[in-house]
Amino acid sequence: MRIEAVTAADELGFPLGTRTVLGKVQDAATAPGQRSDRGLLDLQPGRITELVGVPGTGLTRLGLELLAPHSRTAPVVALDTRGWISPEAAWETGVIADRLVVVRCHDPVLWPKVTAALLEGVRAMYAEVPARIKDQDLRRLAALARARRVAVAMRSMGGGLPGGVAYLRLRAIGVTWEGADQGHGRLTRRRLVLEATGKGAAGVARRFEVEDEGSNAVRVVSDVVVDQTRRAVG
Amino acid sequence: MIADDRVTGATEEVLAAGVTLGMPRREAEALAPFATVMPRDVGEEIRRFEPVVAVVEDLVPRVEVVAPGLMFVPVAGAVRFYGGEEALAKRVDEVLQEHRPNRTGVPPPHRIGVSDGPFAARWAAATASAGEPLIVTDTFGFLSSLDLGTLRESMGGEEMIDTFRWLGILTLGDLAKLPRETLASRFGNPGLLAHRLASGEDRPVDPREIPPDLAVTMTFEDPLETLDAVAFAGRNLAERLLKRLRVVGVAPHTVTITADAAFGSERTRVWRSADPFTERALSDRVWWQLRAWVESGGVPGGITGLRIVPDDLSGEGRQLSLLTDESSMIEAERALARAQAMLGPDGVLQARAQGGRMPAERVAWSRWGEPDTPEDRDNDAPWPGATPAPAPALVPPRLDPIEVEWDGGMPTRVRLGSRWEPVLTWSGPWRLSGRWWAGERDADRYQIVTSVGAFLCVVTEGRAYLAAVYD
Repeated sequence: MRIEAVTAADELGFPLGTRTVLGKVQDAATAPGQRSDRGLLDLQPGRITELVGVPGTGLTRLGLELLAPHSRTAPVVALDTRGWISPEAAWETGVIADRLVVVRCHDPVLWPKVTAALLEGVRAMYAEVPARIKDQDLRRLAALARARRVAVAMRSMGGGLPGGVAYLRLRAIGVTWEGADQGHGRLTRRRLVLEATGKGAAGVARRFEVEDEGSNAVRVVSDVVVDQTRRAVG
Repeated sequence: MIADDRVTGATEEVLAAGVTLGMPRREAEALAPFATVMPRDVGEEIRRFEPVVAVVEDLVPRVEVVAPGLMFVPVAGAVRFYGGEEALAKRVDEVLQEHRPNRTGVPPPHRIGVSDGPFAARWAAATASAGEPLIVTDTFGFLSSLDLGTLRESMGGEEMIDTFRWLGILTLGDLAKLPRETLASRFGNPGLLAHRLASGEDRPVDPREIPPDLAVTMTFEDPLETLDAVAFAGRNLAERLLKRLRVVGVAPHTVTITADAAFGSERTRVWRSADPFTERALSDRVWWQLRAWVESGGVPGGITGLRIVPDDLSGEGRQLSLLTDESSMIEAERALARAQAMLGPDGVLQARAQGGRMPAERVAWSRWGEPDTPEDRDNDAPWPGATPAPAPALVPPRLDPIEVEWDGGMPTRVRLGSRWEPVLTWSGPWRLSGRWWAGERDADRYQIVTSVGAFLCVVTEGRAYLAAVYD
């Protein structure tokens, strides 16, 4: 059975989002000259990918999965602001266990300093960004990530990153779970519809679907919408 | 004690059953089914080795500890005092024979070798019989007969050693006969190092003078008595030392760790490594040593001062691996050490998988830079009823109460903060039977899908708790 879910208000510390019911998934080919959808899920050195969405949409797991290729050569870091991130999900998505370091920073005053220290040395990082971090600090950190060529995925717990920080913005539009059916079965597969905007998406808003079955491969299954009208800034 | 599925230590009863060190775990378990298998704890081994080191140090100062069970003793000065190498080796053997650290009253088995340089001395000790020190007079001749595999421990280079074997080079003597330039051009620095060791030319270290201000010191107004505080201070000091050495462009092969006790005494120990110390490697050594002193009561009243003095500084840097980005590893270690200094020891963590039925149970956390915590639950056991994949990405540190509305045993609404969310679907209940004899209660698990995501809930004694979020 497929379940349609909507993104909605966050009760676990995330901002209130808009309710967006999943639309019909359509297949569409990648336009010439555009990066493939799979390429949108590659963390690039010196670039920040912003993940936007409420908890439950699977963005923590996606953020950890983005670290998997980098963990093959060097340690990668998950910066955890609540102490909730579970490395088991990262291992399932292919992050090498010995190479994953979880840094827990609950203090928003310390967060920029700790993040800067990590950007000085690590090659890839998934970072939760606490609310009330100054835009100025985030811009400085983005500049540091560019200078040190660190691949970064950031997920804001507040109102999102300021303009110009993220190279690519991946927003969760909706999530569909399969497997559970009124008491029977179990959750087996999640389909997550993402909208990519920003320079990393060539300035064109694109939607695609990501399928996660709990293995170490998150699959991009289709382009769902190509929206040429909205130009992204940042 | 097991590491990498091989026996690294055993009690006398287990050894008497035919188990030998280095034996595969399964073979050892078959020979000694009564034995309890435990993961290797290097810190504990150092703590037990510490009294042995102290006994030898009473005879010869500046003993160098390489690993638990292996120490180098510089004998150049001591032979004059004791009247020759043979007399010195005999004296060391006697004091070790008299040493009775365990309750059985049996001295620990030991072997002593004397030769030119630590590499030859290490293998002389390995070749010697218990109670009969082996004194090598012809170092080159002794090394020539050794198997090529003896290089593995000192310099790694598994592939290079296999290549040598494939070429028919089986002993260090065969290797020493090859032209050094050829080895250098074919294998680079490891080839050069291998040829030096095989030729009896040990310790390719840069003998430059150490500026006195490279040593780092930390003093404490309130003596450090807990292991946590000592570990944290030791790690910070190790980081400071290596940061200072990087500025000069050198790395230490040997460090002298000194701790001042609150009641006036001072403890000193020298550690050495074939490779220059990294942050991680040095932090480990400092931690093992301080733990050994604290747990054995070697620093009465706590530690009031710590000092690390570098020695055997090498300017040649580290040979980088082609398979992993070694320079990234080193930079990451520095960054993580800095983050840990800001956040405290519990702020930077690593984890490994262990057995369990709930997501929180399946992860064994340990502080970054410290030895893994012993595994509570066997990861290889089947664990029937374990929460199936995909694993939730968010797991609260403890079960959080959550309000769930039920209708005939079926969840209908979940209260998230101030609002009730309708349940779209769910799976469960899956029974979780607790160890009733240990006071654990039975519980039911539900995977609940709402409009704001999917959750794992646990219901016990009529109350629901949030166990994980499928984010």
